[in-house]
Amino acid sequence: MRTTLDLSWRLLRGGGRRGLLGSLLTLAAVAVSTGLLLFAVGANHAFAARTTADAWRHPGKAHGTPTAIEALTTDYVRGKPVKVVELAALSADAPVPPGMRHFPKPGEVWTSPALGDLMRSLPADQLSQRFPAHTPTGTLGRAAVAHPGELIAVVGRAASDPSMTAARSDKTAIDDVASPTRIDRFATSSDSSTAFLYQVLAAIASVLMIVPLLVFGGAAARLTVARRDQRLAALRLVGATPGQVVAITTAEAVLTAAAGALVGTALFGAALPALTRISIAGGSWYASDLWPGIWTPLVLLAVPVLVGISAVVGLRRVVVSPLGVARRETPPALRAVRPLIFLAIVIAFGALAGSLTSLGRAGLVILLVFLALAFLGINLVGPWIVALIGRIAAGTARGPARLLAGRRLVDDPRSAWRTVAGIALTGFVAGFLALLNPSSGMLRHDSANRLEISVPAASAESLASGARDRLHGLPAKVTIEPRKDAGPREPGQGQADSTILQATVDGGRVNVDRARTALTGLVPGHTATTPAEGALASGNLLADLRTGALTVLGVSFLIAITSAGITGASAVLDRRQTYAMLRLAGTPLDVLDKARRLETLIPLLVMGGGSLMTGLFFAAPFAAGFGISGALTLVGFVILGFGGILAASALSRPLLRAVTTDPTPRPD
Amino acid sequence: MNTPTPPVLSGTGLAKAFGPTVALGGVDLAVGRAEAVAIMGPSGSGKSTLLHCLAGIMRPDQGEVRLLGDRIDDLGERRRSALRRTRFGFVFQFGQLLPELPADENVALPLMLGGTGRHEAVRAARAWFGPLGLAGMEGRRPGELSGGQAQRVAIARALVTEPAVVFADEPTGALDQATGHDTMRLLVEATRHNGASLVVVTHDPGVAAWCDRTVEVRDGRLLTPSQPPYPPQPSSPSHPTPAPQPMSAPQSAPASQPPFPSSSHGAV
Repeated sequence: MRTTLDLSWRLLRGGGRRGLLGSLLTLAAVAVSTGLLLFAVGANHAFAARTTADAWRHPGKAHGTPTAIEALTTDYVRGKPVKVVELAALSADAPVPPGMRHFPKPGEVWTSPALGDLMRSLPADQLSQRFPAHTPTGTLGRAAVAHPGELIAVVGRAASDPSMTAARSDKTAIDDVASPTRIDRFATSSDSSTAFLYQVLAAIASVLMIVPLLVFGGAAARLTVARRDQRLAALRLVGATPGQVVAITTAEAVLTAAAGALVGTALFGAALPALTRISIAGGSWYASDLWPGIWTPLVLLAVPVLVGISAVVGLRRVVVSPLGVARRETPPALRAVRPLIFLAIVIAFGALAGSLTSLGRAGLVILLVFLALAFLGINLVGPWIVALIGRIAAGTARGPARLLAGRRLVDDPRSAWRTVAGIALTGFVAGFLALLNPSSGMLRHDSANRLEISVPAASAESLASGARDRLHGLPAKVTIEPRKDAGPREPGQGQADSTILQATVDGGRVNVDRARTALTGLVPGHTATTPAEGALASGNLLADLRTGALTVLGVSFLIAITSAGITGASAVLDRRQTYAMLRLAGTPLDVLDKARRLETLIPLLVMGGGSLMTGLFFAAPFAAGFGISGALTLVGFVILGFGGILAASALSRPLLRAVTTDPTPRPD
Repeated sequence: MNTPTPPVLSGTGLAKAFGPTVALGGVDLAVGRAEAVAIMGPSGSGKSTLLHCLAGIMRPDQGEVRLLGDRIDDLGERRRSALRRTRFGFVFQFGQLLPELPADENVALPLMLGGTGRHEAVRAARAWFGPLGLAGMEGRRPGELSGGQAQRVAIARALVTEPAVVFADEPTGALDQATGHDTMRLLVEATRHNGASLVVVTHDPGVAAWCDRTVEVRDGRLLTPSQPPYPPQPSSPSHPTPAPQPMSAPQSAPASQPPFPSSSHGAV
C-alpha cells in the first residue's frame, strides 16, 4: 500500500506540465462539484432546520397532564407577517419554550431580534401597542427563530385571559393560526403543510442539481484516467499486475479528488454569505442552517470515494488488455433502447400520477422517486439526442467547422450532454415559472387598505361602534358586510351567522398599521387582516418557486460553465498532436476554434434553449401580459449563462494556440 | 526532365539556431520538379529543422527559401499558413488524422478548408481511395485503420489539393518494414504521378532508397553538397542503392488498382 501511494504521488508530480494540467482540471471539476453538492445538501438541511425552528409554534395535543396553553396568531406590520405565540402556564412545571430561559410570565413579551428592532424603530401606535409590554422583555434565542428577518413574538398570558380561550380566525391559512390548545410539551416535528411542501420542493431542486452534478463529477474523475491511459498501459506492459495498476490510478484519482473536495468546501464556505441572501419562504437564511453540518464530512468522504469508483470503472479497459487503450474505434452507436426506457418511465408515471395524490406523504415520496427516475431517464436519452443533433449538423454541414463539430458530437455525445444536462433539466421549470408573475396578477392591490375581522353577527353592531371609538382620529370608515366569500367551510367552523367587520383606512400603510394596532384585542384572538395579506401565502409560494427555479438554473449554468471549460481544455489536450499537425499543414486556428465553439453551442441552443422555450410556451396561456419582469430576469440569466459557457470554452483557446504554435521545440 | 530546369523549391544559405544550439549552419538544397529527395541524418542532425524551414513552418535565421522562384521565408505567418494549405502537402509519422472524422472526410478536409463545397471535396477525396488500395475504407475512422492504411489516408490527404511539394517527416517511422516500404512506394508513385516534388526526412536508408536522390545532414550541414538533381527514375525493386528486401508486398500491388486521379498539373 505504501509503495502504491508513493508511486501514485510520484506519477502525479512527475506527470509534467500537461499531466499537471489534467490533474488540475480534475481538481477544479471536483471542487465545483463538491461546492454545489454541499449547496444542494445544505439547502435541504436549511429547510429542515427552519421546519424544526417553526415546529414549536404549532401546538400539539397533550399526551399527559396539560401544563400550559398555547395559541398562534398571525398579525401583520408593514405588509409583513408577525407570528404571535401566546402562552399561559397551567402549572409550575410548564415547559420552557425553545430559545427562552423560562416560561413567559403573564404580560411578558419576548421577540425575535428583527421584531425587537422594529418595535423600537416604529412609533408605538403602529406596532408595540399591540403587545402587553411596549418594549420587549427579552429576545428569543436562535432555536426559536426560523430565519434572520423573521418577526415573531411570544406573549405571556394568564390562563384566564380571553385570548387563551377564544378560537382563532378561520380566515387565514391554516398554518398561520392555531386555537388555544392544552399542551404538556412543545412540538419538535412540524405537521405544517407549508413547511412540508417547501421541504419537498427543496428535495426536488436537489434532485435537479445532484443528477447533473453526478454525471459531471463522474466524467471529471475519468478525465484523469483518460490522460493516464497510455502511461498505465506502459506500466502494464512492463509487468504491473492489474491490481497494482488499479491501485495506483485509484490512489491518484482519490488524492486529487480529496484535494478538490477540500477546495470545494472552502469555495462553498466563501460563497455562503452570498447564498444566505437568497430569499425564500419569507426571508433569508442563517449561515449555520445553510451549512450542511454533520453532512459536510460525509460529503467530503463520499466525493473521493465516488471519484475512486468512477476511476476504477474508467480503468477497466486498461486492465483488461495492455494494448486496450491505444486504439480508437468508432464508439458503439447509442442504442434506441435509451429513448424506450425513458418512454416507459413517462408512461408508468402517467398511469400512476392520478392515484398518487390520494396516498398523502407516501405519494409524495413516490413522486420524488419518479422525478429522480425521470431525470435519470432524460440522462439516458440526452446523449442519444446529442448524437442525433450531431448527425444532423454533420450531415447538413457545408463548411469544415460545422462538419468537425457535428462529428465530434456523434463521436462523444456524452461529453456535450454533460455540459447541457443541467440546463436542459432545469430550463423547462425556469421557463415555465418565469412567466407567472406573483407580484401583480395574483395579488389584489385594491384591497391592501381594507382591514377585515370576522365577527359573530349577533354582536356585530356593538363591535362596530367599539371599532369606531378605537379608530377615532384616523381616516377610517367602519362597515359591516355579510360574508360573501364563504365557500364550503369545514364542519364546526361553518359560521353561517358570522359577518365581516370592515375598516377601510386611507393614508397608506402607516395608517393601516395604526388602525390595526388600535383594533388589536377588539375581538380576542382575532387580528384584522387585509385580503391582500390573506393571498400573501400563495403569492409567496409562487415567488419562492421562481426564486428556487432560478437558483437551480444558476447552479446548472455553473455546472455547464465549468464543464464547458474542462471539456474544452481536455479536448485540446487529447488532440494536441493532431491539432498541431493540422496547424503545420496550414489549417487556420480559427477553423479549429469555431468547430470547438459550435460543438458547445449547437447542443446548448437546441437542448437548453429548447427546454426553456417549451417552458415559456406552456406558461404563456397563464401569463397573458403580466410576466414581463419574470421574463426579463430569465433573459438576463440566460444571457449571463450562455455567455459564461462560451467564455469558458474560449478559455482553452490560448491552450490550443500553445499546443499548436511551437510544433518543433526539438532541434532535430 | 533535364538538369537545367529551374528547381520547384530551393533553399540557400539556410541557418537556424535554437538558443546556443545550432540546428542548421548554412544549407543549400534545390528540389526539381517531380523529384523525390531524401534528407537523412542521425537524431539531432537538423534534418527536421531543414524540412520545417523549407516548408514555411519555421523561419530560418539566415538564408532564403523560394517556391517556383518566389521567396516564401519572409512572408507573414498567415500567408505562409495559406501557402502550406494550398501548395504543400504533409505526411507525418502518425496521429495526423482527426479521430472523429471518417477517412474520406479526413482527406476532404484540406479541400473544404480551401473553400471547396463539401460534396465536391468528398468526391475528389474518394477518388484517391482505390489507387491507394483503400477501396471500401472510406467510411472508417482512423482508429479502425491499420498503421499502413492510416498512412495511405494521410498520403491521399497530402495530395488531394494537388500541391507542388509534398513533405514527409519519417512517414514510415511507426510502421513495420514491409508496410513501410509499401507505403513509401505508394507515396513516391502517387506524388510523381501528380507531378509533385517530394521531400522525405528519414533515418532509414531503405526508405531513402525509394527517392531519386539522398542528402545527408550532420551537425546542421549537408555532408554531400547539393548536387545536380538526378533525373527522376521510375522506382523499381531493382533499385541500385542498398535497399533491403525488395519491398515486395505484392499483395497490394498496383496492377489491380485503378490509376491515380488525374492531376491538373499534368502527370508524368
